[in-house]
Amino acid sequence: MMRYLAPVLVGLALLAIWEVWVSLADIPVFILPAPSAIGLALVENFASLMAALWVTVKVTAAAFFWAAISAIGLAIIFTRARLIEMALYPYVVTLQVTPVVAIAPLILIWVGFDNVSHALVMIAWIVAFFPMLTNTVQGLRSVDPQLHDLMRLSGANWWQRLCYLELPAALPSILTGAKISGGLALIGAVVAEFVAGSGASTGLAWRIIEAGNRLEIATMFASLALLSALGIVLFYLLSFCEWLLLHRWHESFRRG
Amino acid sequence: MTALALNEAGLVYDNGFAALRDISVQFARGSFTALVGPSGCGKSSLLRLLAGLEQPSIGSVTGLAQSDIGFVFQEPTLLAWRSVADNIALPLKIEGHAQSEIEARRDEALQLVGLTDFANALPRQLSGGMKMRVSLARALAKRPPVLLMDEPFAALDELTRFRLDDDLRAIWQRQNCTIVFVTHSVTEAAYLAERALVMQAGEIKSEIAIDQSDRADDFRGAPPFIAACAALSQALGHKRAAAK
Repeated sequence: MMRYLAPVLVGLALLAIWEVWVSLADIPVFILPAPSAIGLALVENFASLMAALWVTVKVTAAAFFWAAISAIGLAIIFTRARLIEMALYPYVVTLQVTPVVAIAPLILIWVGFDNVSHALVMIAWIVAFFPMLTNTVQGLRSVDPQLHDLMRLSGANWWQRLCYLELPAALPSILTGAKISGGLALIGAVVAEFVAGSGASTGLAWRIIEAGNRLEIATMFASLALLSALGIVLFYLLSFCEWLLLHRWHESFRRG
Repeated sequence: MTALALNEAGLVYDNGFAALRDISVQFARGSFTALVGPSGCGKSSLLRLLAGLEQPSIGSVTGLAQSDIGFVFQEPTLLAWRSVADNIALPLKIEGHAQSEIEARRDEALQLVGLTDFANALPRQLSGGMKMRVSLARALAKRPPVLLMDEPFAALDELTRFRLDDDLRAIWQRQNCTIVFVTHSVTEAAYLAERALVMQAGEIKSEIAIDQSDRADDFRGAPPFIAACAALSQALGHKRAAAK
């Protein structure tokens, strides 16, 4: 019980200190609004903020989905064909180490402002893809060689080996990668919306820019709070999936 | 009649290490052979050659198809996410047997190793000895004419090992399969097998027949067992320190 109660109590205490401090120090609302003002802004702009949240959720979910599909697919190819891995890996690394903010405008130009949602997904995908790929490759490579021998002795073809052995054995690593990629997909979506700017996107990041320009700092904080909440929900959703798939058999869920 | 044979076979790994040299040996159908020797002498490599998991660098292997071979590894080698029953059934499923056939063989194998009550348990819920029984049941479910076992009970405590040795002999007598059993234990080889091949540095140094003709329940105290242990120890080069 305390596991859940303790962080809630800490949060409430911090909000209370914030509220009192802003009031006592008489800090202007355009510098730092009180939590109550942020709450009020959230209620007043509820419909538009929820619409913006939905846009960001869609970009994040699409980027995460494509990152997962492409990373697992490419990881399977990498572990099957060393030559393909050697040929492609430097370019995958290049994609990872190039700052996404620097290439995002190019992607927007190439994909076109008529298809801005596709461009946003693509930018977020670039950010989310790499951890999923490296974790999946590592998981597929870490399968016990004796289990591979067992499959050979049973006459398993590559598809049976993949379905019965490699993917289930790699699942813990894949899910660790998914937890990292989920958070990065959201960060990627926010960066993409910032770069797209000028109302081309209508997600939460755009609402932050717009509210900032209008000095509606309370609305800005409300958008920020929603973004954080979305990140937390995403993390716990993926952690729940991990628990669902692994708790029966994996050592990491064994209680000491 | 010969079930398996190695004909002047040698095995050199990619790093240049010669694991086996010029090995010629036959394994008669229905026989129980132990391969004994110190660590690194090539016992497991010989077994992998027989199973077709390695190809000989020179010479040849006369044997059966991989589907006719049951292999028991040193570790239980179970899929942690599958239940005991599903672990046993998996090779049969891969081989494409009908579901009714799979269930029949799976249940029979579970009964042979005495784990029927644990069919739905996951590997992590079992003791070391029970996991090894599952591994044995998985190999037996294929009803293989040949069973190759690579130090399967090495990591178990002595009592569990004695019990599994007895179970294995009973299964061998009932199934009438050919067993090649790798061990570094002289007493285990003498207790289980009719013949022991002593290996050293990638070669078979000697072959010792073990008299199992008059086998009583207390075989571990019987003269043929003690004689076999002494012969095996001597073949392995063990000498008592000379008294001064």
